[in-house]
Amino acid sequence: MFPPFFFFLLYNTHGFHIRFHVEELQLATRLQATSLKERKRFGGIFRDHVVDTRQYLEHVRESTTGTLGRPVKLFTNHFRVTSRPQQVTYKYNIDYLPDIEDGKVRSELLLQHKAFIGECHIFDGSSLLLPHKLLLLKNQVVKLTIEFISELSPNSPDCLRYYNILFRRILKQMNLKQVGRNYYNKQEATEFFDHKLVIWPGYVTSILEYETSITLCADVNHKLLRMQTAYDLITGLRDPQTKKEDVEQVSKELIGSIVFTLYNNKTYRVDAINWEDNPRTKFKKSGGAEITFVDYYREQQYNTEVTDLTQPLLISKGKWKKSQQDTPHKPIMLVPELCYLTGLSDKMRKDYRVMRDLALHMRLDPEKRQHELRKLMNTIQTNREVQRELQLWDLKFDTNFMSFSGRILKEVRIFQGRRAVRQLQNDWSRETRSGPLLNVKSLDHWLILYPTRNYGAASSLVQSLRKVTPTMGIAMREAKMLEVSDTVQSYTTVLENHVSSKTQMVVLLLLSFKVLCVLSSEKKDLYDGIKQYLCVNCPTPSQCVVARTLDKPQTLMTIATKIAQQMNCKMGGALWKVETGLQNAMFIGIDCFHDIVNRRKSIAGFVSSINQELTPKGSECVLETTGLKEHEPRTALKLWCKHNQFLPQAIIVYRDGVGDGQLQALMDHEVPQIESSLRSVSPNLVRKVKLTFIVVKKRINTRFFVESQGRLQNPLPGTVIDVEVTKRQWYDFFIVSQSVKDGTVTPTHYNVIHDTVCFTPDRIQYLTYRLCHMYYNLPGVIRVPAPCHYAHKLAYLVGQSIHQEPHHSLASRLFYL
Amino acid sequence: MGENKECSSMVDNCEEVPTKEVIEFRPPLYKQRYFFVKNLVQQHKPKKVADLGFGDATLIWMLKYHHCIEHLVGVDTYAGSTSQWEISNLSPSVGDYLVPRDLDLTITLYRGSAVQKDSRLVGFDLMTCIELIEHLDSEDLAKFPEVVFGYYSPRIIIISTPNSEFNPLFPASTFRHLDHKFEWNRIQFQTWASDVANLYDYSVEFTGVGSPPAGAEHVGYCTQIGVFQKNEAKATESCISTPEEHVYETVFTTAYPSLQEKKNLLLVLSAEVLRASNSMRLRFIVDPKKKKVNGRLVPEDSCVPRYGLIVTDAQRAQIESSPKPYCVGKKFYVPLERLITFPKVNRLVDSVERLRSLLSEALKLNRDQSALQVDLHDHYSRTMLSY
Repeated sequence: MFPPFFFFLLYNTHGFHIRFHVEELQLATRLQATSLKERKRFGGIFRDHVVDTRQYLEHVRESTTGTLGRPVKLFTNHFRVTSRPQQVTYKYNIDYLPDIEDGKVRSELLLQHKAFIGECHIFDGSSLLLPHKLLLLKNQVVKLTIEFISELSPNSPDCLRYYNILFRRILKQMNLKQVGRNYYNKQEATEFFDHKLVIWPGYVTSILEYETSITLCADVNHKLLRMQTAYDLITGLRDPQTKKEDVEQVSKELIGSIVFTLYNNKTYRVDAINWEDNPRTKFKKSGGAEITFVDYYREQQYNTEVTDLTQPLLISKGKWKKSQQDTPHKPIMLVPELCYLTGLSDKMRKDYRVMRDLALHMRLDPEKRQHELRKLMNTIQTNREVQRELQLWDLKFDTNFMSFSGRILKEVRIFQGRRAVRQLQNDWSRETRSGPLLNVKSLDHWLILYPTRNYGAASSLVQSLRKVTPTMGIAMREAKMLEVSDTVQSYTTVLENHVSSKTQMVVLLLLSFKVLCVLSSEKKDLYDGIKQYLCVNCPTPSQCVVARTLDKPQTLMTIATKIAQQMNCKMGGALWKVETGLQNAMFIGIDCFHDIVNRRKSIAGFVSSINQELTPKGSECVLETTGLKEHEPRTALKLWCKHNQFLPQAIIVYRDGVGDGQLQALMDHEVPQIESSLRSVSPNLVRKVKLTFIVVKKRINTRFFVESQGRLQNPLPGTVIDVEVTKRQWYDFFIVSQSVKDGTVTPTHYNVIHDTVCFTPDRIQYLTYRLCHMYYNLPGVIRVPAPCHYAHKLAYLVGQSIHQEPHHSLASRLFYL
Repeated sequence: MGENKECSSMVDNCEEVPTKEVIEFRPPLYKQRYFFVKNLVQQHKPKKVADLGFGDATLIWMLKYHHCIEHLVGVDTYAGSTSQWEISNLSPSVGDYLVPRDLDLTITLYRGSAVQKDSRLVGFDLMTCIELIEHLDSEDLAKFPEVVFGYYSPRIIIISTPNSEFNPLFPASTFRHLDHKFEWNRIQFQTWASDVANLYDYSVEFTGVGSPPAGAEHVGYCTQIGVFQKNEAKATESCISTPEEHVYETVFTTAYPSLQEKKNLLLVLSAEVLRASNSMRLRFIVDPKKKKVNGRLVPEDSCVPRYGLIVTDAQRAQIESSPKPYCVGKKFYVPLERLITFPKVNRLVDSVERLRSLLSEALKLNRDQSALQVDLHDHYSRTMLSY
């Protein structure tokens, strides 16, 4: 058997290396630039779908299908296209002179020649698809040239793009309202009066070619409309006494958010707030005349009345594309009263009543999802206009969910030391705490900081830690208890005075009620400030605990256990392990965090393991805006060498955070980059380090279901799908690794784009599933392999809180857990 | 710069094209014509408006922003199957659902000619024939008054047509558009218009848009306009007796969401009520002076928001004199009698009874249904207090 211990980001002090670059995007920019050029012809996902990554993978030439596991019959939200044009179709290029940008006008002009083109046509804005060949134009009435490009065979991927355009047209005909990319049914809107919310149900669809057939993938989607303007938000934050808005607070809540302007049905991103001007300020119209905003909206165009003349103005820099970030735009001024907020605000996310009501409505279980999708398919079958349109192209869809066989992988064994841990429905939280942890760190020198009047909470935490740590094998000495007031300043001063090089851990008791995800912005400042101090200025592992969570005696022990485990990880300990079946393999996880407030700064988290018998894993974390830099894999490798005296045999990269349409760029840039850094580390090495590169995608519309007792249900964790809805030119598969309580589970898509390790499908699938068990913050299975999730955590912490490079001495710790 | 731009039109208005040094209208002439119509709409507040010869539907699109209009109809012989532009600009947008109109609005486009009779066009308040009549041949022109003035007989008709006296100022000496069958001088138009007005009992006033350049004032406006008003407006309200005659083909129709629909009213009303109660709630929270009366915590302050929701002092006084909000336990109550004094709430419902019956369907009221009940603290006020 394989000696197999996989510990992620564990306890060696130099094992991990972290590096931050806060620079401009490089790879991302490059990716964007190429995609922009291509965009007109091929939208995101279509471009990915024509990239043949399998052609280089000799070992899976025959098949990308595995055999292990128990077969299970599955259903998916794909509908087979049962009929489509079988003859060649003809593609024409349409040019306008002078050039016209507005897509609507373009199609308008073309459609004036409908008599000539014929009823049956698909136009995408620049090219035209026809089922017949055009006779030569006699006279060009409009300065519009129609140029024949090519005949398209029925299997051409280009054709599919046109079918998608056609399908969108159909959705429109079905009286669905287009908002952004998707279509929504306003007739079935649900109102939440007390939350000032309306939800429109809708659909996301795509017609694409998969393993054996072309399918229509359809999923349910919801559009949230908020009856709240930016003005409401500003006045809501006005101090009722001084009547002054809290400028900082308003900026925080508004900047980066997307607003919707009623009068022209457009969305803008708020980039700044102009407190100097107000709606009475004049601006220059395109004609050159000056007019105030009030007059403009009232008289000139929209008959809309602005009531509060003292409100500030919002500034939007216009549609933002990364690739265009250097082109100057004239900023657009918006009147808050006319700007409706979109999406869920943090405030709403924190309101459990809102979230409960929304979840009830939007989180559809498999049965309900099927019901909604059936409705869509039925309408398509029965709507006469739609049928007429489809018949023109001889397009037909199956009305039933596609069905095929998947496999449920064997349960993964979890080890704590020599002890195999029993899983109970993919949860081993109980088991982990009933015996010694895999690798224990004793707590000798540590501090607890507690806010004034919270000594009680702090001491009850210590007491419960005393109770739970012995069984887990953690030796714990007395902590130094320090009182602080609830400000960043107070925390940092105390830390400065008491943290020494010996200090292993700082426990911080906070008053705010949620630590990582969403804090009220004031509390977030506190959290950010402290984390920043402890990650950069005074690098020490730290554990934040929210005082309120210690209030309930019945959950105190569970929480103390969790805290003890987390602290153990942060100090370099390990909780459990799984068998990976690999020797000397290094795992790398990469994910990106896009900072919405400071548009430019995206951060890539890079986490790698470094260890020969796979015990201490080095993880190098590179957090930065660029894609990968050569030195990161290289440093990771060097660290590995330092610890193991030899290089790993194989490197397995799980890459998350890849947008649609970037697959080719990954093939062209990122993979070669890693390969070249492998070469540079050991140019003389006889045996090459092998590399497997897997693209991980969480945001997909494909869903899987199993039928049980006559009802559709979520598939069990460990279900693998590598037939029918995978692609012929990819080495790809889906895994449902996590289990969900309600709603429909989202499978994760894995695409092996480079593989010199030559994994068989069975092995890579099993390995991937096992890695999903290695996230220490959760004694259960997660959606993605642990390296990816650690990378995500790291990127998130840096992007959200620290905003700069953490101290290198922390690199070896899971400080971001 | 989307929203700050002038609307761009696809109309190929020949007047605007001629070489720059000759004449350039600002704003463009077609826009001046449309704004002329808009102003008249503003002034007369018509409910039913029809545009004969709607062309690219720009005027219809501009008119849809007027709240008074409930029926907006376009008729054009060239109305092909509706274009993307028309569909997307004339259809209700998300914004129209968020802020529904007060009154219903339906927009309908017909394919048909202004010299065919269709009973659906009878009984309108305003009909516009912008740059239409010059496209009619003599036979159709002869039929036109009978159909529009005699049969449709709207309260107001606006007819615009080129003024040929202006033409010498343009470089080309031909008609302004290839399809023009004629272009009249002022006397010709006014004679025709006065005759028609007399015959069908309308009074007519002449004006125009597109002022001539300095030194050429004698030629008059570039576009001449006749505004016809029916003399006995009230008497002919009863056009219902007209037999149904549907000649026009409907090419597009859409209905806008409005407050007439209860669902929409509830949504807007509850948003407005919550907005008002929220502003009072925040004032209540920070106000240190409160006293206990019958188990209720009542503020000494009047709890009137000082901004945004109120415009005039009279409105403020009215709110001040209404029952104060109060607090019991962790709940904050705002009497409906107070809510209804808020102008934006009052605009939506006129009586406390109606407010009560509506709100009871959407929000939480107290037991005797006299006040709105909300949580005293939300996330924001909690953090505000913790300072």
